[in-house]
Amino acid sequence: MSDIGKVRLRLPSTIKVGDVVQVRCLIIHPMERIERDKAGKIIDKKYNYINKVVVTYLGKTVSTFDTTQSVSENPYFAFTLKATDPGTVTVTFHDTLGGKYEGTAQIAFG
Amino acid sequence: MRRPTRWLAVALLVAGCTVAADAPDYSRVPRWTTRAIPEARGEIRPEAGGRRVAVRYPGWPTTDYEKFRTYAYDDFRPEPTVSRATAPTGITGDPKTGRALFLNRQKGPCTGCHLVPGDDVWPAGSVGPDLSTIGDRKLPDGYLYQQLWDPRVVFPLTVMPPWGLQGVFTPEELVHLVAYLQTLHGPAAPEKDRDRNPFTRAKPVGFGDNLDPTNNPGVVRAEDAEALWKEGGPAGKACADCHAGGAATAMRGVATKYPRHLPAWGRVMSIEDFLAVHAPATTGRALPVESADNVSLTMLVKMASNGLPVAVDVSSPEARAALARGRASFVRRVGERNHACADCHTPEQGANKFLGGRYLADATSGLTRHFPTWRTSVNDAWDLRRRFQWCMTPLGMNMLAADSVEYAELELYLTQFDNGKPVSVPGIRH
Amino acid sequence: MTESDEAAPVTRREMLGVLGVLGVLGMVAAAGGGVLLAATPAAAQALGANETVEAGLARVFGGRPMKDGASLIKLDVPLIAENGAVVPVAVEVNSPMTPQSYVKSITVVADRNRIPIVTRVALSPESGKAYMGANIRLGETGDVRAIVEQSDGTLWQIKREVKVTVGGCGG
Repeated sequence: MSDIGKVRLRLPSTIKVGDVVQVRCLIIHPMERIERDKAGKIIDKKYNYINKVVVTYLGKTVSTFDTTQSVSENPYFAFTLKATDPGTVTVTFHDTLGGKYEGTAQIAFG
Repeated sequence: MRRPTRWLAVALLVAGCTVAADAPDYSRVPRWTTRAIPEARGEIRPEAGGRRVAVRYPGWPTTDYEKFRTYAYDDFRPEPTVSRATAPTGITGDPKTGRALFLNRQKGPCTGCHLVPGDDVWPAGSVGPDLSTIGDRKLPDGYLYQQLWDPRVVFPLTVMPPWGLQGVFTPEELVHLVAYLQTLHGPAAPEKDRDRNPFTRAKPVGFGDNLDPTNNPGVVRAEDAEALWKEGGPAGKACADCHAGGAATAMRGVATKYPRHLPAWGRVMSIEDFLAVHAPATTGRALPVESADNVSLTMLVKMASNGLPVAVDVSSPEARAALARGRASFVRRVGERNHACADCHTPEQGANKFLGGRYLADATSGLTRHFPTWRTSVNDAWDLRRRFQWCMTPLGMNMLAADSVEYAELELYLTQFDNGKPVSVPGIRH
Repeated sequence: MTESDEAAPVTRREMLGVLGVLGVLGMVAAAGGGVLLAATPAAAQALGANETVEAGLARVFGGRPMKDGASLIKLDVPLIAENGAVVPVAVEVNSPMTPQSYVKSITVVADRNRIPIVTRVALSPESGKAYMGANIRLGETGDVRAIVEQSDGTLWQIKREVKVTVGGCGG
């Protein structure tokens, strides 16, 4: 899937200082599921799935998701943060094959 | 004045629904060579030992349903003849076996349409009557047997398949089913869970905002097709070279008119059908129907019309001829199940009821303006033709090529119900 | 874990070393044939593992008691999931998010999944609100749980059954 790693982020259109802002992010990723052979035994291979999602804002890690193969393919994640200053929200997705994908959005006060 | 009036009454009866119809004329339907990917052509491949295997999308069943009527305009086989039958003698029906057959997903399952008691009954449907206390009616075994063999003897207008006649159940299995039904007595146990019962079950809530790229992966896929729009094909040209200003500007309003009859090709075509012939002729790129690129570009083109009202032509002679044939397809009984689209997707029949766990949609309310739609269950975008082809599977019939004229005219028939309503592509569904 | 300052027959370093080894053994025992765990305690341990929900909860929460979070936690899941591939889940906790008292983590569990520990989000006071959302896979009809850990270590739990619709047209 050549789309792997595409990220979309969404913030509310108007943000005031001090608002607790809900952020949604989505990433295109197969989140490979465990495969079993005909006998029902788990096939031993390196499954490619996102296992960590790190949210940073104003240079600090605000929240971190540990994720597993029980999370959907092309997953979305939603979280909140307190919008204290203008700045960049960065969401970094890490997968088990060492893939690292990033999405950013700007917090600006309207 | 009686004969013309009666003819008019019959014609109106045949026309049905909400739109006045012409009688379908098949004498001038163009022949079409498919431009679809191999998995989407409806081909059957002969294998060693005389077996015939259907060439299908990955993971789809490969059964050859050769015995059963299809949508093909040149398939003149009639519906299966209404058939009377009596139960075989010498078999004692076993209710436990019957119950297992009733719930068996390889057969009906009968629970797809009918509720019966049991905590393990999930999810039963409400298209057919609740059978939880049918034993109380003390119907003769022979009557029930006939109902399962071919219910059209009892109810001529029924949508219930002629299970025995079509060979889905053997006569012996029908005897066990009858025995099971006769054990279902009232009073019905109080319902512990209102969702088990399809008559009180909560309706599906859907998957939220279909146009939000942080909710619908289909939007991400469609947006990124802009790169393909700008990319030169083997002939050295890109879509963008002739259609300047970006797809959203250049294609604004275009999709509201599709599917439409295109004189250059002599047939009704959707965006998907047209891309498959237009792209090779201009950019040199092959965009076969049901290829990922064709679906992605179709979404991109249709998104350019989001918010604009669907406005397909329904009045030109070509459109009217196509609509008549499309309507005939919509009410045509096909497949092992002997179902028509209308059986599930009109409010007079199955629409707004549960078929198993699926809430059936009403085609007359306009269902095409969200296609192609993102399917969460398969994490892929499906255009309407693939949705048609999928329906062939539970109905038990061979599919036609995705870009067949039959499907295009059925699509036109369905799209007229979206006229005036805003395009919203891609949709998002289970 | 707090260590006693009193003189002990075993030094603290030795104790931690032994406990570390026991920890590894414990992980391997819980995994049973799963391929998802790291071999050494130093490497990141995968959150998910192929296990029963009881084993998963014991592994992740160490058998600590969980209070009924019904008054505190709002768990948003559909009553009926139209398919098991994509089930939207959202959790919101009525709790302050001050440095003195905040929700440290929210864990989502699906009892009937082969990998029942689905996801966990670690929060901070900067999160502003104890909230998370994700879409998850459900193998079959069963309970979905939200387990909330507060900064003082208290655990709260809420669960709800989600029915998964099976099959295509007709069932």
